[in-house]
Amino acid sequence: MPASSSTRDLRLDFFRGVALIFIFVDHIPENILSYFTLQAVGFYDAAEVFIFISGFTAALVYGQRLIAKGALYATAQIWRRAWQLYVAHVFLFVIFIGEVSYTVMTFNNPMYNEEMRVADFLVHPHLAVMQALLLEFQPTFLDILPLYILMMLLFPAMLLGIRYRPFAVLGGSFLLYLAVQVFSLSVAAYPEGATWYFNPLAWQFLFVSGAVLGHMAMRGRTSPALTHALIPLAIAILVFAVVVRLSWTIGGLWPAVPSLLLKELWPVNKTDLSPIRLIPFFATVVLVAAWVRPDERFMASRAARPLVLAGRQSLEVFCLGIVLSALGHFILAQYQHRLAMQVAVNAVGIGAMLLTAKMLDWYKSMDRVPAPRPAVAARPGRGDEAPL
Amino acid sequence: MRRLVWAVAVSLLAAPIGAARATPGECEVPAELQQVDVTLPHLAGRLAAKEPVTIVAIGGASTAGAAAGSPDLAYPARLREALAAKFPEAQIKVINKGVARQSAQQMLERFPSDVLAEDPVLVVWESGTVDAVRDIQVDDYAGALQRGVDELKNRAIDIILVDMQFSHSTTAMIDFQRYLLALHRVGELNGLYVFPRFEMMRYWSEQNMFNFDGVVAEERAKLAARVYDCLGRRLAHSIRLAIP
Repeated sequence: MPASSSTRDLRLDFFRGVALIFIFVDHIPENILSYFTLQAVGFYDAAEVFIFISGFTAALVYGQRLIAKGALYATAQIWRRAWQLYVAHVFLFVIFIGEVSYTVMTFNNPMYNEEMRVADFLVHPHLAVMQALLLEFQPTFLDILPLYILMMLLFPAMLLGIRYRPFAVLGGSFLLYLAVQVFSLSVAAYPEGATWYFNPLAWQFLFVSGAVLGHMAMRGRTSPALTHALIPLAIAILVFAVVVRLSWTIGGLWPAVPSLLLKELWPVNKTDLSPIRLIPFFATVVLVAAWVRPDERFMASRAARPLVLAGRQSLEVFCLGIVLSALGHFILAQYQHRLAMQVAVNAVGIGAMLLTAKMLDWYKSMDRVPAPRPAVAARPGRGDEAPL
Repeated sequence: MRRLVWAVAVSLLAAPIGAARATPGECEVPAELQQVDVTLPHLAGRLAAKEPVTIVAIGGASTAGAAAGSPDLAYPARLREALAAKFPEAQIKVINKGVARQSAQQMLERFPSDVLAEDPVLVVWESGTVDAVRDIQVDDYAGALQRGVDELKNRAIDIILVDMQFSHSTTAMIDFQRYLLALHRVGELNGLYVFPRFEMMRYWSEQNMFNFDGVVAEERAKLAARVYDCLGRRLAHSIRLAIP
């Protein structure tokens, strides 16, 4: 009994699609378009949106499977998803190796040779590959999937807990988050001295929060009254956050504009998901829950359709976005950083992501259409097996 | 005629050294890259009192100057020479404490032995490359810089921060931008001068003054030495502007 498409919460797909586009844009350094993404105006960025929605969707989808087909089946499905994410991670790592090796082999600048040797991958490729397979080696861009994979590995237990004691799970998750903030706990990574870029002990709270809300939504136990009561507070928090953060962005461009509270608040810790990031994010969640309906007309419109599809095919579109942002970075650095080139790189990248999502959606919808049975019937009971 | 012969003879003799020096014209940068809004009060005081001046340049491989083949050709040595020309009366010593492959945190740990022990009046701190290459968390990088700045400020030592080097092929692989932003922000928050090496080198690269692409191996060290020479001169000029 999967949710039919008419009851599907379009907000999840739409905002995840937007987050994927933002992740692509933000991953290209010195990208003019990154002044127009979340991170320029809010203390949080697309990573929070992505992880939160992933937790929410996971609870929604696998919670239904859990009820319909039992814990064992739901666990198998969740771990199958974790495996897909892992394969995607390894795939991205291979592309990363290709890019680094190519650049280093064609490298001829003596002023950097010395420092470049520290790129640990080049010193100990055998260790780096092993550590990447163990999710311990997380070069730039390859840091959010390990978090997601770990969350999915643990999700069967979380899901069972949330089904029976959602608030106990949420409370435990929050205490762990709090412990990270107070005691600066971190998870070691490779090479020695490095830590997980997205500290799973902290970021799990966002994933679990999403999952608990997803569970409540599935059970129809959300509380519109509470949401509405929180609106004034959420607005106050967001206005404050946006004004301060925007003053940093503008102040970075024009020194005449003062960067408010910069000395007090900067740097905002992303690794440990600083409360300065988390609180405005939750404020946004409250406002979206209160003001944007699940079947909002705009999101069902043709204009929003490409983004909704991108959000629906999130794993493939995410991977493509990572590869394209590395490529875009390379092109912009190799050739001049002109505005027209930047706009072109962004446009081509976003276009490719949206088009890929559309193709995947079409392909999967074709897959779901039952093929006419051949005259000689296949053995019964094998109907839903995937074709080889 | 005799003068011409002399000129030829001098230029022939000077050639091996001259190859490692940039001509002043090569080192030009746009005015906005040479803008200095702060002063260096402790250095200015020493110079005014005609006391000997010790400057420590701490940093990574590009401070050590390995690419040019000799520490004499690294930017701190070139800085000393350029400063000597600008302040002929003064006794200025520039000590090179560049060690390759170190993060800002590792440099900070060298402060007691390599920096404070020399009793400098000005510290030129070049950092960020290794932090970016190793993908060290930007917050940790900024934190290390801030602690170093605090330590030097407490001891009444002037500070200049130097940002990363620019090259097309490295920026294609490594995202320096976040580290540049952090470095410049630490400078701004502490009212320090940040020597914009990255933007200067980008300008030279875009003007095709220094381009390593297609240069044969033997020529690259000379090219690197010329870049270091320009950087030393530009930095000396900035220091001059920061002395009221």
